[in-house]
Amino acid sequence: MAGRVAIVGVGQTHHTTRRDDVNLPEMVGEAVRAALADAQLSIKDIEAFIFSNMEAFEGILLPEHGMITEVGATGKPGLKVTGGGTTGSEAVGEGCHMISAGLYDITMVISWQKHDCGDATAGISAAAVPTFAKGMVTGAVSEFAKQALSYMKESGAREEHAAMVRLKADRGACRNPYSHLKLGLKSIDEVLQSPYLVWPIRLYDFCPQSCGACVLVLASEKKAKKIHKKPVWVADFEVVHQEPFRAGSFGDPTGTETYSQHVACERLYKRNGITNVRKQVDLAEIYEPSTWEEMSLYEHFYFCEKNEGWKLIEKGVTNIEGDFPVNCSGGVIASNPIGATPVLRIAEAALQIRGDAGEHQATRDIKTAIATALGGPNWTAMFLLKRS
Amino acid sequence: MAKVTEKLEGMDVWVYHGKIHIPNTYSAGAVGSRFLIELRDNKRIMGTRCPACSLVYVPARSVCRDCFGMLSEWIEVGRKGTLLTYAVAYQGNPVQPLEPPVAYGIVQLDGADTGFVHMLGEVAPEQLKVGMKVKAVFKIKKERQASILDIKYFKPVG
Amino acid sequence: MAKGSPTKKPKKSEQPEYIRIKFDLPRPYHWSTGRYLGKLYAEAKENKKLMANRCPKCKEIKVHAPTPVCPKCKVDMGWDWVELPQTGTVFQYTYQVYPLWDPHVGGRWANPHPPAIILLDNGVYLRHLLEETDTKKLREGMRVQAVWEEDYEKRGQGFQDILYFRTIEE
Repeated sequence: MAGRVAIVGVGQTHHTTRRDDVNLPEMVGEAVRAALADAQLSIKDIEAFIFSNMEAFEGILLPEHGMITEVGATGKPGLKVTGGGTTGSEAVGEGCHMISAGLYDITMVISWQKHDCGDATAGISAAAVPTFAKGMVTGAVSEFAKQALSYMKESGAREEHAAMVRLKADRGACRNPYSHLKLGLKSIDEVLQSPYLVWPIRLYDFCPQSCGACVLVLASEKKAKKIHKKPVWVADFEVVHQEPFRAGSFGDPTGTETYSQHVACERLYKRNGITNVRKQVDLAEIYEPSTWEEMSLYEHFYFCEKNEGWKLIEKGVTNIEGDFPVNCSGGVIASNPIGATPVLRIAEAALQIRGDAGEHQATRDIKTAIATALGGPNWTAMFLLKRS
Repeated sequence: MAKVTEKLEGMDVWVYHGKIHIPNTYSAGAVGSRFLIELRDNKRIMGTRCPACSLVYVPARSVCRDCFGMLSEWIEVGRKGTLLTYAVAYQGNPVQPLEPPVAYGIVQLDGADTGFVHMLGEVAPEQLKVGMKVKAVFKIKKERQASILDIKYFKPVG
Repeated sequence: MAKGSPTKKPKKSEQPEYIRIKFDLPRPYHWSTGRYLGKLYAEAKENKKLMANRCPKCKEIKVHAPTPVCPKCKVDMGWDWVELPQTGTVFQYTYQVYPLWDPHVGGRWANPHPPAIILLDNGVYLRHLLEETDTKKLREGMRVQAVWEEDYEKRGQGFQDILYFRTIEE
């Protein structure tokens, strides 16, 4: 990127199942005010706005139009990004592009999803082209069920490992004041008692539908240091949308096709001289819609060798106290307001770099972090964030 | 059984007649709820006022468009106002509940600084004029449901 | 509503009435198949054949769904059609336990027929349903055969003209 961009403000709402006390614009406004408070800026300082959300789920076309007043964007320039699961990352990318292109010094990325307005599974199933896929797609759950089956078969991971992933996420979520699902789980058996949704995905293996918003304030190098004592620098990012797999959606059971994660890593890691992720990067906030996918993503992002993802979980390498913490915030399986989730990953990684993550702060000192996003069927976005 | 797909004449192209049915529920929020509950329980139309700019927003909302401040004062506005503009729809739509012709316009109530859209009734389309004075007509109590439609329509006065 | 502390959760002690507005109407749509998918529809309806087209450059057969441009090579696919075999082996399957909302149906249901990825006898993958609803009898690697909708009037739904794949006893 030409000009350097930093994250100087982070704000989010308390993610939850239902928010009846606010309408959609007001909910988003809460996160805006939180981000402004964190950046210690006034709304007048924000020069441009980028909105990010998935429209089918709220059932309102162009929902950003109804919230201009509540987010303070009256009379200011902006644009909307909607791109499936990776929406938030692309929106942050746009915010960075506008700054490094020299158009603005301070932009705000606003992302949200108010899931109590609709039904996410229904929304995702509506992405199935009705002329040839009607009745074949049961939302994201069935697609991740197929991914889980492939993973179990190839790597030897067992249901106990998926349960361990949920336990790790729950420990983080219980320490994160903003997370949605704080289950207080104590043992693998508790997780294994939850019912199946689409076999082998259990209720506790999957992400919730949360109402929440997350807002970032981005600034140019010129202004960043004046605004915040600890700006978090966006060193690089990559967005890859590959064509869908022939069989399966989120996984390639045939073993012949290209994963967008691999393409993204090849480009991003190469550009930044990363040859050993676990040594050169300190933490990751990855977008894992299911416990099984988390283990698979460890392999796709080269945190470990193929078929060894479940071993990292077993050994506790990715715990908050571990050598390579992943998803200290609880991750997507604890809070998932879809349009905001990728931005939450970037926000949480930024808080970890700043040392401001409170009780869910990683034990290690975090100087460099990766934040990723996943979209259907074969999309990945990756952000590389650095302290200096 | 109704035909779900049909072939177009003269070419191998099919059209699938389907639907997308996702259940939606919108929260009015605390402020919106209070506005709607006042319509239902008290036949009162309320607005919120910005303490800094003195603008009164109807229907009541929570943030000021100009200064981004919170609108903290509740004010009752009258049931009478001015018709800022109007339109008459002659074509129906499967999603619309009313039969055409339907007249609706933007009404700015006395005491408010904003206008809002509502139906116009007890008036022939030709008699509508920009700037005419109108008055809210409410539904009877048992029909009111804390909805903007608790106001049945606006009719001309004078 | 909280003023000044935007991220505090609302108190549970006071329970004011909150209004929620439901919108539950189906939105009607009309989708065209276009020429390529239209050919699949026509052959399925008239001849109970399942067709796919093949890329002139990479020779890959595109099953879901026939399109004018090859997704790998980005070249014009032309009009080279292949009839797919109607038997294959089950490569992977899953089954739904919990009823989830289907927007094309307008309600919650758990499809009793398990969705599966079937490796057809010519080496291409087809995503479809299995007839067998008893999950204990499902096995990867079982041989299956397409079962068509026999009533001509009811056909004309493309891939759904095949109802499901039936297990063939070996």
